[in-house]
Amino acid sequence: MGRYILGRILQMIPVLLLVSLIVFGIMRVLPGDPALLMLQGAEGGVTTPERLEALRERMGLNDPVVVQYWTFLTGALTGDLGESVRFREPVLDMVLDRLGSTIELALAGLVISVLVGVPLGMIAAMRRGGWIDAFTMTFSYLGASMPVFFLGLILIYVFAFGMGLFPSAGGTGWRSLVLPGVTLGLINAGLIARLMRSSMLEVLGEDYMRTGRAKGVPPGLLLRRHGIKNALIPVVTILGLQFGNMLAGTVVTETVFSRPGIGRMIVTAILAKDYPLIQGAVLFLSIIYVTANLLVDIAYAWLDPRIRYGD
Amino acid sequence: MQNKILAWRRGAALTTVSALALGLASSALAQELRVAFPASSEPANLDYHVDPYTPTMLMNSFMTDPLVVRAPDGSFVPGLAASWEISDDATEVTMALKEGVTFQDGTPFNAEAVLANFERILAPETGSALLAQEVGPLASMEAVDDLTVKFVYDEAWVTFLDMASKAPMWSPTAFNASTPQDFDKELIGTGPFKLVEWVQNDYILMETWDGYGGWNSVSETGGPAQVDGVRLQFIAEDAVLGSVVASGESDIAYQLPALAVEQYLESDDAELLSIGQAGVGLQMIFNVRNPPLSDKRLRQAILYSRNMDLANQILYNGLYGEADGPLNNIHPCFWEGASEMYQQDLDKAVALLEEAGWVEGPGALRVAQGVEGVEDGTRLELGWSVLHHAEIGEVVQAQLLEIGIGISVEQVPGPIQLERVNARDFDIMFERLRSADPKILDDMWNPAYDQPGGWAWTGYDNPELTALLEVVAQNPDWDTRCQAAKDAQKIIMEEALMVPTLSQPSYFAVSNKVEGFKLGAQGTHFFLHDVRFVE
Repeated sequence: MGRYILGRILQMIPVLLLVSLIVFGIMRVLPGDPALLMLQGAEGGVTTPERLEALRERMGLNDPVVVQYWTFLTGALTGDLGESVRFREPVLDMVLDRLGSTIELALAGLVISVLVGVPLGMIAAMRRGGWIDAFTMTFSYLGASMPVFFLGLILIYVFAFGMGLFPSAGGTGWRSLVLPGVTLGLINAGLIARLMRSSMLEVLGEDYMRTGRAKGVPPGLLLRRHGIKNALIPVVTILGLQFGNMLAGTVVTETVFSRPGIGRMIVTAILAKDYPLIQGAVLFLSIIYVTANLLVDIAYAWLDPRIRYGD
Repeated sequence: MQNKILAWRRGAALTTVSALALGLASSALAQELRVAFPASSEPANLDYHVDPYTPTMLMNSFMTDPLVVRAPDGSFVPGLAASWEISDDATEVTMALKEGVTFQDGTPFNAEAVLANFERILAPETGSALLAQEVGPLASMEAVDDLTVKFVYDEAWVTFLDMASKAPMWSPTAFNASTPQDFDKELIGTGPFKLVEWVQNDYILMETWDGYGGWNSVSETGGPAQVDGVRLQFIAEDAVLGSVVASGESDIAYQLPALAVEQYLESDDAELLSIGQAGVGLQMIFNVRNPPLSDKRLRQAILYSRNMDLANQILYNGLYGEADGPLNNIHPCFWEGASEMYQQDLDKAVALLEEAGWVEGPGALRVAQGVEGVEDGTRLELGWSVLHHAEIGEVVQAQLLEIGIGISVEQVPGPIQLERVNARDFDIMFERLRSADPKILDDMWNPAYDQPGGWAWTGYDNPELTALLEVVAQNPDWDTRCQAAKDAQKIIMEEALMVPTLSQPSYFAVSNKVEGFKLGAQGTHFFLHDVRFVE
């Protein structure tokens, strides 16, 4: 198990290197001079070529691309992700400032999607062909096809503007987390419900379940001890990927609900061509994503004793 | 079983405490004025000494006062300066400062403090993105006495008061103890509100400063503000921004999206206010360097083909303002002849196109026949690039298509716009500057600024126009400048160097629960000094 984890951690290195290279490359290929943007803004005032040149020099934009990449990479290894062009603050500080809010939202979405999706899928499997099953299928199709921003706006109009239960914007306090969390959660709950349903159907037909029933094990106990745990394995697999989806989903959700977070920060940084901020934030999110997947792989072993990595 | 119940209770209690902690974590003031801003107006640095954006200046005005204030009627009235004198040649400005003014940290406001602020603005380490340039080529400045400062320029600097109305005055004690990067979280000024915290991408919270002496002449109450504080909430979604006052979540909403305006027209709970933004309208600039737009006849044909009143009705129920020339119609130096010059006349447009060699083609678009620099048979298709308001381009597209001119409307982000402008690779490009001072004409049309970082994008060079623009930029007499600006606009229109479209007003929704809200002279400014909650 230890060797497996070590191996997986080593595998993360080329992945992250590749991510850094891709992000670095894309930002250089796209048009737009960050120094000019910094001086001029979208609709700012007049600037001079001398100031522009001085700023380009200060930002290292006159260095060869390889040198710029090496500077970024060596800095990242020591925790220095550079300084934001637009905000003039250390990138790492900016990312860490917003990380809590984004993780909070992604986790809220993940928890809600599990709390809604897993029971719904279980019930649908146990009542196969009934109205709950039909409802679950419809719900999952809706969840998969409805854009995040659309659901978010509907929730805002009903629960914020209509009933006044929750704020429509902001990131302060637990009440501001409810609507964005539900938005993200419901969008993903459909997928989890479908997966749980099919997994549960498969488990219910397994020999060990039949044996348990034949031996007179109470149905509730049988389901808890052997059914749910085994049916959850594919769901847990997908949760790692879902967490990545959640992080991606926060970009839109944070915008609709005007929450501070890394997603919104990245969008702003892209529009401003804030190279260091984009690179640093994307690299950071990549680390989180890869780590989440590693944790999911480790969780396999706990859920399914047949899995013995590295043995 | 009992253990399970206990564990459950412990979990529930922990959850409740955590929830309460989260709920109480936000700072809140008893009678807090809530003002909703579009998220796009949130600055990168909250200090206008550093940041170049107009909303930054607005937000600073709640926390400090400038030396002079641009009043709602557009005139300059005393702020922290009691009076001022400008020499006839506009090279010397002497300001007498108000007595008894202190910063929020107790530092006295005097001549030394003013000099320290200007030195900070001009210092390279501050990295001022705009204000340092607006201060201009300052030769010297001195403290004549404790309450008098004198600024001396090498050449006439006619926009001094405009700059002085924008430059915030901060406590030298406070900024000397900080850095330009950090000071924007600790701003200390002389204004009615003190900065409590700025949570980026979320809100700015300010509390009322009891020591405020009403030094801004626009303030009628003459003392501290009458609310406990102000929360500026940044809203990223237009649909939400449009409804926050109607739903009671905010007291004031700034820059309402056009689509949200209608719900406030008949509202009993909120008032809709609007004000034009003096400057350039939603202007489209021709790139006249290359064929086919180097031919004036084609440019004029485009201008004769469009009908902006109709576009305004179709898109905005006629709520947008007119911008018939290089300056919009509410600008004090607008040349009125622009409104009559290019009334829609399709016959004239067709005649101009035929004369220029653009004949009817096999499809809907005209094709070149003997057009200089254009291969015969080439279809008449032009690019129309905007940062926003693509819908205006789409209406113009339909209007131009009637006589066989094709335009492809493209909405691009700022970096792409600047990249194309720098490469001079565009046909018709959005360009807007906003100011009640006509100097913006010089910025946009003087070929001296036809360089990276400059705003003269069109590529047009005419000594007669340049001479007029230099008068606009340098003559100390306002009337002379304004007349030169009008003459310059006449040339720009005759040469058909730009497509006037419409002007975007600023809309505000103000809840009936508050009173004393005051709009500034331009759509980008307002005053909260006298705002109070209705009993």
